[in-house]
Amino acid sequence: MSGFELNTSIANLRDLRASDLGAYDAIYLGDIYCRLYEANFLERPDDLREGIRILREQGKRPYVATYAAPRNDFLPRIQKTLEVAATAGAEAVEIHNLGVLKIAHDQFPGLPVHVGGFANVYTDAGVEVLRGFGAVRFTPNYELSLDEIREIVTTCQAPMELLVHGKMPLGVSDYCFLLEYEEKWGIKCPDLCQKDLFLKQGDWAMKSVGKGILSGKDVCMLEHLPRLLADGHRHFRIETLSESPEYRREVAGVYREALGRAADAPFDLDTGWWNVVRAHARIGVCNGFYFGKSGMDYAGIRPEAVGSLLTISPSAQ
Amino acid sequence: MANGANAVYAGPRGWSRRRDRFELPEEDIREAVRIAHAGGAKMRVAINTNMQSHEIPPMLQKMERFVAWGVDGAIMTDIGAMAEVHRRFPHLTIHASIGANILNDEDVRFYRSIGVSQVVADTKLTLKELASRKEQMAVGIEILIHANHCYTYLGKCWMSPYHRLERTTDPSGKDQFKGSPNRGGLDYRVCLESWELYSGATRWEEQVALKNDAFFLLDDIPRLIDLGVHCLKIQGREYPVPLVGEIVRFYRDLIDRYVAHPKGHPFDLAPWRATLAGIEGGRNAARGETTRLLLIEGRQPVPAA
Repeated sequence: MSGFELNTSIANLRDLRASDLGAYDAIYLGDIYCRLYEANFLERPDDLREGIRILREQGKRPYVATYAAPRNDFLPRIQKTLEVAATAGAEAVEIHNLGVLKIAHDQFPGLPVHVGGFANVYTDAGVEVLRGFGAVRFTPNYELSLDEIREIVTTCQAPMELLVHGKMPLGVSDYCFLLEYEEKWGIKCPDLCQKDLFLKQGDWAMKSVGKGILSGKDVCMLEHLPRLLADGHRHFRIETLSESPEYRREVAGVYREALGRAADAPFDLDTGWWNVVRAHARIGVCNGFYFGKSGMDYAGIRPEAVGSLLTISPSAQ
Repeated sequence: MANGANAVYAGPRGWSRRRDRFELPEEDIREAVRIAHAGGAKMRVAINTNMQSHEIPPMLQKMERFVAWGVDGAIMTDIGAMAEVHRRFPHLTIHASIGANILNDEDVRFYRSIGVSQVVADTKLTLKELASRKEQMAVGIEILIHANHCYTYLGKCWMSPYHRLERTTDPSGKDQFKGSPNRGGLDYRVCLESWELYSGATRWEEQVALKNDAFFLLDDIPRLIDLGVHCLKIQGREYPVPLVGEIVRFYRDLIDRYVAHPKGHPFDLAPWRATLAGIEGGRNAARGETTRLLLIEGRQPVPAA
């Protein structure tokens, strides 16, 4: 591995096979929002084994995701997923639910656990509790600022994984409102949530993937990579679960190159990078909560480079 | 208390899942404990924000005072804070808040292992799921009987601060996160906005709703009591005091009559449904107006720091 890890997530075999993963070090397999997502790795043990095999063959680290909000009836399936992860050679599982963490700790003690963004890691004391259950890496809750994350790292020396680009998760539900429109639109589940759907009102926008709600804007930390490296972070996620193979490949290419140069002083931002980001961000870009502001704000040091991406462009409406 | 509540939660200012106008100054907690105990009820403190790491030591100092004043329990969300409180005050009952989003039996086992003895059930759980929990584990369950179903799971949603987050500091030095329900501020209820739905550049729907319904468990209450659930909870902090009193009195009366009625005989809920319909109207009107104002507030620019 290089001095950092760049990873993303992929929901099914079709997307895995269609994606050029050259710029990534690791991939999380599975859609965490919905059991009905088309050919979800998390519902298909054979596909999951095959996905892990493909990634190993490509020299990538296979990680396995688990559901963000599992009820009792999910647990047997999750147990099976953990079993496949442990036996097929996954290098870690990502866990968002503390009950599932307990299952992994009790039944699969050798399986490294990455704690996901829905597990609500807000404090150093929380990290210490999770470590007691075998967690080795942590995605802090998306609401935390970089300063708050640094506070945790300083106390715990815990490896954090940060979303650096893509749609930030904003919520998860047990209900898919898109199903109400199956008949009217003539589109059935599981195709509904793959139609690139955005909820908009004025300058507010969110992306809907059915049971999952994502930010309308793409989190973009391109120009802040030196700060992330200086804070000691080495694990970076480009969230592409609901994106096209082109997005997955091109944005990762930008970040691979930028991270390679981010330790240089001065850090030279390539205009071509912005063009790629601009081409893929339908609604605009933001910094999430990393600078202690509203999640849809952008606190760039070079706002002119982002230009019209800061707000919803008329063509996107 | 006079209307029949057995326990009341009070949020010390800055530390609970409500905006400050629905919280109490610290000194008032002492008086609240006195009032509750004089009325034969328990007083619990709501320290259920997802706090920051450096806020845990001052929180423990606060808790020291609350315990000395005689609080009967603390409802919390952050697992690290819970573990610290349990370590420091092993005899204090810790309740896992709705924000902890406890969804399955294994979740309950996890929270028990860090010192939690009471959990608030997520509002989306079915009676079957609750029955499984009660039967399988010796854990206290609190059921919200008069609240709202959000579209998303509570505690797993940051739609509101994504759109507007205002960070300030209160006079005591406590950070405030206006716009983030998880971090102690208010929720702008952006899910209730009148959303248009687009696919790419094409508008598919002029208005879609992210389901968010009020629910009033009435028909299920006898079954919940039969299951052994011993804590039924009413969301009351944001409603006018007379309305909260009316709601408490209604459920107190229902519970007492059901418990007293001979087992095996039918219990007629019809008259209760009629009374509840009247209460619902007042409650829904109050909530609807609050939502309208919150959505307006959520559109206001954040003042420069």
